[in-house]
Amino acid sequence: MDFDLSEQQKMLKAMAGDFMSRECSKARVRQLEKDSKGYDPVVWDKMVELGWQGLILPEKYGGMGADFLDLVVLMEEMGRNILPGPFFSTIGECAIPLMTFGRDSQKADYLPLIASGKNIWSLAVLEHSGRFDVGEIACCANSDGKGYIINGEKWFSQYAHVADRLLVICCTGRQGEGITAFLIDAKKKGIKIENIPTVAGEGQCRIRFKNVRASSNDILGKRGQGWKVVDYLAQRALVLKCAEVCGACQAVLNMTQAYAKDRVQFDKPIGSFMSIQHKLVDMLTAVEGLQYLVYQAAWLISAGQKADIAVAMAKAKANEVYQRVCIDAVRIHGAIDFTMDHDLGWYFRRIKDAEFTLGDTDFMLERIAGGIGL
Amino acid sequence: MDEASYWDIPGMTMGVSGVGWVGQSLMLFGSEEQKKKYIPLIASGEPDGVWCTAYSEPNAGSDFANIQTRAVRTDSEYILNGQKIWTSCAHRARWCWLAARTDTNVAKKQHGISLLILDMKSPGITIKPIENFAGVHIFNELFFDNVKVPVANLVGIENRGWYHLMQSLAFERHSMAPQFYGGARRIHEYLVKYVRDNRYKGKPMSEDSIIRHKLAERALELETLKMFAYEITWKISKGIIPVYEAARNKAYCDLVMERLAITGTEILGIYSQVDALSKWARLMGIITRMYMMFPGNSIAAGTDEIQKNIVGQFKLGLPRPY
Ligand SMILES: Cc1cc2nc3c(=O)[nH]c(=O)nc-3n(C[C@H](O)[C@H](O)[C@H](O)COP(=O)(O)OP(=O)(O)OC[C@H]3O[C@@H](n4cnc5c(N)ncnc54)[C@H](O)[C@@H]3O)c2cc1C
Ligand SMILES: Cc1cc2nc3c(=O)[nH]c(=O)nc-3n(C[C@H](O)[C@H](O)[C@H](O)COP(=O)(O)OP(=O)(O)OC[C@H]3O[C@@H](n4cnc5c(N)ncnc54)[C@H](O)[C@@H]3O)c2cc1C
Repeated sequence: MDFDLSEQQKMLKAMAGDFMSRECSKARVRQLEKDSKGYDPVVWDKMVELGWQGLILPEKYGGMGADFLDLVVLMEEMGRNILPGPFFSTIGECAIPLMTFGRDSQKADYLPLIASGKNIWSLAVLEHSGRFDVGEIACCANSDGKGYIINGEKWFSQYAHVADRLLVICCTGRQGEGITAFLIDAKKKGIKIENIPTVAGEGQCRIRFKNVRASSNDILGKRGQGWKVVDYLAQRALVLKCAEVCGACQAVLNMTQAYAKDRVQFDKPIGSFMSIQHKLVDMLTAVEGLQYLVYQAAWLISAGQKADIAVAMAKAKANEVYQRVCIDAVRIHGAIDFTMDHDLGWYFRRIKDAEFTLGDTDFMLERIAGGIGL
Repeated sequence: MDEASYWDIPGMTMGVSGVGWVGQSLMLFGSEEQKKKYIPLIASGEPDGVWCTAYSEPNAGSDFANIQTRAVRTDSEYILNGQKIWTSCAHRARWCWLAARTDTNVAKKQHGISLLILDMKSPGITIKPIENFAGVHIFNELFFDNVKVPVANLVGIENRGWYHLMQSLAFERHSMAPQFYGGARRIHEYLVKYVRDNRYKGKPMSEDSIIRHKLAERALELETLKMFAYEITWKISKGIIPVYEAARNKAYCDLVMERLAITGTEILGIYSQVDALSKWARLMGIITRMYMMFPGNSIAAGTDEIQKNIVGQFKLGLPRPY
């Protein structure tokens, strides 16, 4: 593994940072937290011009055919600045499994619309319990000879309210069995989508399916193999989520470090007090450790190697570090950051979304335990 | 370092064999004669290639530059007087890598220090063993009574020893992450095997979710340590000089050892107090020994506070608090 970015990745990183500070001002992000859409369509279209939605999609479908690592670099920058929107759900959670499990006709139908930014996608996997586990899947797709009829509920489906298409994980047998992934038009009859108000306004939705019809052509991959699709997409999407968290943690560390040098109490910068200094050092060590674990996982995926344990480690670490770094940052800032006007709150409000995306810490630790022979 | 430590090769840890920093330092700033004489001995792995390192004194621990041991130069030799403490392995070493004061008339206490090679067979050296609270004899007090050191044993430039010592300390700290990673990895493997082989409440301990999660957390910390070890090695191999990384790694090593030792004793339960050499010791006593030693060992090569001061100042650019 290389501990440095390629020249091309460095350029992408610089360009992304530049774009985000220009197009996605702090004031704008604050508005979007309250916005009913939860994202800025103008910025979304400008991202299309830069080719980001299609970054890792094949050229044949209007993409740029870039490496997974490039997308990781981009996500890290998006996390640093906080770019709210359906990029993660569309690309990370839906386009990636489509590329791998989609039939040629499905890819031809859907990928160009993703690359051109015309379609937004949302993954519908969690249910009322909110737990990421195959045994929780009760939303059923019953076959009636002519096709499938979907009934049930999905919770915490991000940006479903603005999505054109849904990737819905259903059971085609008893609860938790015969899991099958369906590609469903979000505007279809029988689908009701409503917003779940959250602390960060990150477009969380509840979806209800009432007798929604689907055909076998709408199945992604094979019938009964839907959890394979979920597992595959989770590994990649998790690395992207971790990269986003990593960018956020770096931003929090940088702003806290700068504040500690600047803020004077008792006639000295508070950064000269050893307890503050050592807290900042612990934050740095945590963030650097996270960064290397994320890049290791990304690198393994990009090299086509087995990555499940490395991914679980990166996610467990991201969950721990993001929370720790934000709590310490609040403490070091004193009261000033405990205000709506301060940037730190954005990062803090997003902790729980990231933590419970596609598996919490206990889930990851269980996976690591399996990986070390327990 | 990683593999040697994984297999617990004697003499590799604490740098006593000279592999950790003496050899590398001599290659960088030793004289030709010194390289010819000492490097083959270090490479041979023979007792004549074993070194100890004498920096610390009663009043110079973290504040290393405070050393008082005097080396007064005559025509052909230095006359050494004073005391060192905590000198690991002095009772086994053939040579000593020694910091002494060669000039007292200086503006800053970092000036006037020189780095010397001391032949441990020289007359006038008294070695007094110190037993640590685990009952193990690792370190010693050293007393020097007019010990003669040939001028040819000066390493680098006289009175500029501080800068050579900083380089030597950097070698020492760079090697810590790979070394601790190897050793800790082995112990973690032992613990995994132990919980698979032992039963509690009618099932293998490895099925207990609390134990599973503790060992998974320890594995995650080990993986992080591995990344730090590889990062610093990668940087050095690319010719990038690490600035704060070794200090970060040292502090992280101590955290990893502490958590692993505590988890280990929790898994062994009440047996974790059984003497390491007893026939009833579990896992050959390695967990007990690790637990008895980790807090004390974490002091060696610079305390947690000192490492964090270094990172705070050199990486984060924070004002020096003292
Ligand atoms: C919820 C809330 C309610 C409040 N209500 C009131 C109120 O009703 N009335 C009122 O008057 N005030 C109130 N305050 C203000 C509160 O008392 C101050 O925020 C607090 O004293 C810290 O001061 P500061 O925010 O200026 O932080 P700073 O003093 O700037 O501290 C910043 C950081 O530096 C650290 N630091 C500062 N000096 C040292 C030192 N010598 N050694 C080590 N570390 C140091 C601090 O621990 C902190 O981590 C409230 C604050 C909050 C958050
Ligand atoms: C197992 C072992 C092996 C050793 N082997 C060797 C060896 O082979 N050769 C050798 O020369 N030495 C050796 N040492 C000595 C070791 O380098 C010193 O013990 C260490 O540098 C700390 O010095 P001290 O014990 O005098 O503690 P002190 O420097 O007195 O420190 C006491 C406490 O004060 C804290 N402190 C001191 N200064 C600061 C500061 N500026 N900011 C914040 N906190 C501070 C320290 O962190 C520590 O917690 C060994 C020590 C041990 C435990």
